[in-house]
Amino acid sequence: MAYDIQTWVNVAAFIGGGMAMGFGAIGAAIGEGFTAASANEAIGRNPKLSGDIFKSMLVGQAIAESASIFALVIAMMLLFTKFPAHTLTPFVLIAAGLCMGFGAIGSGVGSGFPAGAACKGMARQPEVTGRLTTNMLIGSAVCQTPAIFSLVVSFILLFTDFSVRPVSPTWAAILGAGISSGLGAIGSGLGGGLVAEASCDGVARQPLTATPVTNVMLLSQAVTQTTAIYALLVSFILMFKSFPPTDLLAPPMALLASGLCMGIGAIGPAIGEGFAGRSAVAWIARNQKHIADLTRLMLVGQAVAESTGIYSLVIALVLIFVV
Amino acid sequence: MEDLGKIHQLIIPFFGHDITLNVEVIVMTWIVFFSLLCFGFFATKKKSRLPGPLQVVGELFVEHLYDLTEDALGKELSKTYAPLICALFMFLLLSNWLGIIPHLEEPTKDLNTPLSLGLMGFFIAHYAGIKAKGLKTYLKDYCEPMFIMAPLNIIGELAKVISISFRLFGNIMGGAIIILVVSHLTYSIITPPFLNAFFGMFVGTIQAFVFTMLTVVYIAVQVN
Amino acid sequence: MAIEGADIVKAAAFLGAGISMGVGAIGPGVGEGMAAAKACEAIGKNPKEAGLLTRTMLVGQAVSESTGIYSLVIALLLLFVV
Repeated sequence: MAYDIQTWVNVAAFIGGGMAMGFGAIGAAIGEGFTAASANEAIGRNPKLSGDIFKSMLVGQAIAESASIFALVIAMMLLFTKFPAHTLTPFVLIAAGLCMGFGAIGSGVGSGFPAGAACKGMARQPEVTGRLTTNMLIGSAVCQTPAIFSLVVSFILLFTDFSVRPVSPTWAAILGAGISSGLGAIGSGLGGGLVAEASCDGVARQPLTATPVTNVMLLSQAVTQTTAIYALLVSFILMFKSFPPTDLLAPPMALLASGLCMGIGAIGPAIGEGFAGRSAVAWIARNQKHIADLTRLMLVGQAVAESTGIYSLVIALVLIFVV
Repeated sequence: MEDLGKIHQLIIPFFGHDITLNVEVIVMTWIVFFSLLCFGFFATKKKSRLPGPLQVVGELFVEHLYDLTEDALGKELSKTYAPLICALFMFLLLSNWLGIIPHLEEPTKDLNTPLSLGLMGFFIAHYAGIKAKGLKTYLKDYCEPMFIMAPLNIIGELAKVISISFRLFGNIMGGAIIILVVSHLTYSIITPPFLNAFFGMFVGTIQAFVFTMLTVVYIAVQVN
Repeated sequence: MAIEGADIVKAAAFLGAGISMGVGAIGPGVGEGMAAAKACEAIGKNPKEAGLLTRTMLVGQAVSESTGIYSLVIALLLLFVV
């Protein structure tokens, strides 16, 4: 097909923009729907508090929305910016779109969980409203971190000058970087949301344990985000390492496979660590005396669950550097 | 927006190799040092029973962070490490907040700062572990639960450094990018203050706290 | 771009290694996380049995890891042996 480069750039820009907004809309919608459902359940249980619950629901939904707004920003930039017409540009645009599109799914869904739990908790214990709102804000904001990582990678992809690099295998490095950070953010967003949900629930049941529960929630969310950070690291290496030009198919496929490996491999461990963190936080709220035992067990369990994530990182790095 | 990735670098030739200094980041870090030293000097100048405002703030930091360290490390060890944790948290907090002031940027936006702080935490944790457990037990712990797990345990330790540094870097850089893009999209007429407050102060505070708490937890895990 | 037989086979091997380790990491991650979750719950209900519960959790997680290790082995075989 003998179209010129500018045509392909436009094609890729529009497809990338569509994918960014299309995938990016999924997560926040599901999360906000979950929040609204929980808010309705809470109002049904305690109609006198409907004002406070409604306000909490809106604030929680706003934070869950921010992941989709990142996707909207990237989509707008893809649609309306004039990109230089170089052979690699179509791949850059598609990679940026995929990255932000996938990256917004997990954080959107995840941030909806603590908002829902906060609404339900408020109905059960109206005096804790202030503390619950603080906990929900902190939990949701930290849950957005993987989406922020995807945004960083999309940005760097769009504004790095790839024209000095050889076309092959850099096309695969670019796609691999986008896929790695995009898929890698899904699991971490979900896992972080599960933990934050349990912490809001725990604070509502036992308001006196608010501070240790928040501390362990932050710690657990930080561990859950580790696989997203490995994906970010692989993306950075793929974007900034200079590869020698090649005519074969194998080296580009190695780079693409490394992105796929780290991206998909980051999903499971993060969700598993989220389960562990959710259970630990819930039981710390019920059993504050044994917080040290529970925290230690949670960290050990999460470290073991992380091991397949580390295997994926090792294989991804082997694919980039050794093969 | 094109100068997003450009860092002013000062390259000094030194006996055949080049020393590269990122000028802006170093100047910002000096500003943070200087401010913290001034704060520390003025807050403790007159220790009175009815504290002035600076002393109140100082006592707030010290009390909460010393409590955090004591919970994780126990009373004796926390005497050694609590000042370090307090200093780390105050440095990170002020660094992350520096971006709100116009024409100043956060030193943690450059990967070198979080990575150095992460490496510092890593060496301190392992030094504390060796001192507390002795060299033989420390080395034997890498072979838990089976001998073949040793290389994976070592990779896990290195992965901890990477995760703690990149998390801080990613968050702060992401915030800076978002504020840059939004002000570019609105033609620099409006820099939305709500966004600045959220990403600069709120996320900055949380990430400083998470970094500090993870450092304490790593020390505690090594000392067991 | 004349794609040769040996070259495309190597490319496929790399792609297979990536997919193998990538998709293979999902299951053990989720499963081991659930094991840790129930262990935390059990310790919350019965803190005196912490040692026994921790050991059971670790053994269960090690068994759950086995398919992850199979994926790792296949990925390494695809990269270096085939």
